[in-house]
Amino acid sequence: MSEASLPATSSVSLPAFRFSVAETAKHAVLIVGSLIVLLPFYVMLSYSFKSPAEIMQNTGGFFGTQELFRDDYCIKLGRDVADCMVTPFIYNYTTAFEKAPLVRYLFNGVVVTASIFFIQVLVALPCAYALAKLRFWGREAVFGLVLFCLLIPVHAIALPLYIMLAKLGLTNTYAALVIPWTISVFGIFLMRQFFMTVPDDLIDAARMDGMSEFSIIWNVMLPTAVPALLAFAIFSVVAHWNDYFWPRIVVTGDRSLFTPPLGLREFKGDADGDNFGPMMATATIIVAPLIVAFMIAQRRFIEGITLSGMK
Amino acid sequence: MQTAKAHWWFVGPALFLMVVILLMPIAIAGALSFTSYSLGNPGAEFVGLENYEKIFTRSTYEKMFGATFRYVFVVVPLSVGLGLGAALLINSTRRFGDLYKTIYFLPVMAALIAMAIVWEFAFHPTIGIVNSTLERGCGSFLESWSWFAHGCERGFPLWLTDRDYAIWTVAFIGVWQGFGFNMVLYLAGLTSVPRELYHAAEMDGAETAWDRFRLVTWPMLGPTTVFVVTISFIRSFQVFDTVEAFYPQGGGPSKSVYVMMFAIYEKAIQQNLMGIGAAITVVFLAFVMFLTLMQRWIVERRVHYT
Repeated sequence: MSEASLPATSSVSLPAFRFSVAETAKHAVLIVGSLIVLLPFYVMLSYSFKSPAEIMQNTGGFFGTQELFRDDYCIKLGRDVADCMVTPFIYNYTTAFEKAPLVRYLFNGVVVTASIFFIQVLVALPCAYALAKLRFWGREAVFGLVLFCLLIPVHAIALPLYIMLAKLGLTNTYAALVIPWTISVFGIFLMRQFFMTVPDDLIDAARMDGMSEFSIIWNVMLPTAVPALLAFAIFSVVAHWNDYFWPRIVVTGDRSLFTPPLGLREFKGDADGDNFGPMMATATIIVAPLIVAFMIAQRRFIEGITLSGMK
Repeated sequence: MQTAKAHWWFVGPALFLMVVILLMPIAIAGALSFTSYSLGNPGAEFVGLENYEKIFTRSTYEKMFGATFRYVFVVVPLSVGLGLGAALLINSTRRFGDLYKTIYFLPVMAALIAMAIVWEFAFHPTIGIVNSTLERGCGSFLESWSWFAHGCERGFPLWLTDRDYAIWTVAFIGVWQGFGFNMVLYLAGLTSVPRELYHAAEMDGAETAWDRFRLVTWPMLGPTTVFVVTISFIRSFQVFDTVEAFYPQGGGPSKSVYVMMFAIYEKAIQQNLMGIGAAITVVFLAFVMFLTLMQRWIVERRVHYT
């Protein structure tokens, strides 16, 4: 593997630093760890470039030789052999889009994750504001309920939720994909903790100006909460873009509702020997958006994903 | 000063959804677990504790608990230990710390179902990169390890289809996916350990790195560890994607990877046996809630000393 050349460069090319056995040992361990962590990413990318023969025989290095190969499906359609020679890299990625409605899956993924996030904010923000800044009878009870609900993982109650949605005739709809996630008690808790730190004076001043409580939430509190909201957005989007369990349960058969993970699973279900390349291309396309976004805004992502670590 | 009823408009929707989406399902699961309900049947027959009796006596469910606990008790210690180890190493190196951090965090971001499919390839007995790499070690000093020599002679294991290896291979993928998350939490925990404590410990005679770790770092990371362990438990109890990707039917070789979430899915969704599915759900919820309550209790007892 090409990464194997890493250890040499990291210690040799830095003569300015004093050689230390402990430091080298640490890097050796960390590099071995990195290789194991990166292995499947390497396999995924590499196979998405290679021809079926290269995948089967494990040849061609990382990028494959990109030699033309014969597309048997094209021959079956009765076209000329000369027209059916394809470059592996291009074949894999075009097949990924042609063989299954991948664009549709990606679109569904965007619609579902975006709707979930917006509804979560719409529900959680006012509630968090009320719990943090308004005094009313029953407030402690509502907050207690929020704390209790934090104990319940939604995946664990998937079965009764599924029964409820089935009784309402909502399985195999966008609604089924979104509804269970509309309430994020974690979002309420997080935003409440954040709003507690907003000074009361700010809110009182807004009230003096004659703003309604409703417009205070959206015009005063929301802008102050942007950093926390951004972190929550990342938390929510990553969880639901990657979620496989819930879509698997409520969407059966209807391909037009598949989210990217379901689409990939379906692809695997009918993959035969020639389709490994396109399948890896599909996997790459599904995994890439979040990985690229993560590379660009690492700190924000790590903050967002580990939000649940906040107390 | 305040609009009298505004708060109920703010709290109302959230309250309604909490009750309908989070609390009602628990009640429904509880109620159905005493019946033999199936979707599409007009009524449900009350069967008392029969479902629970099945769960705790039949060998299928014995395998289910076995697989779940094996998975959980491999993944939790390893992902916590490796997360802590990686955090300590990264924190103590002078260079490239951010690079390692990025790499180790990648699996947390990637859709597990996609990576499961890739791992299945990597573990493929003939074209997989894992076994072909191992084969390259044949004839070297590694053969003095009897397991390795055996692999060279008779072929390396069929990682995912051999019942002696399947659950451990799936657990390995769980560790691979989860330890970066724990590492990041530990790195955050490490930044909050005051420098002065290390100086103080040195004055008190803590000389080796191990002493410093034992006397300062580990106790100061206590609250982080409690949290990391709990969240690792909850996440690994919920394992599903890898199991379903590798074994869409039946839960692996001799049901050795038949974890609870998959059992719920198979019994209730695939076979429409809602009663037994609901009973497994109740047992599952009991586990998870017990763990979280334990965590809160421990945190409240000991978190105050900083």
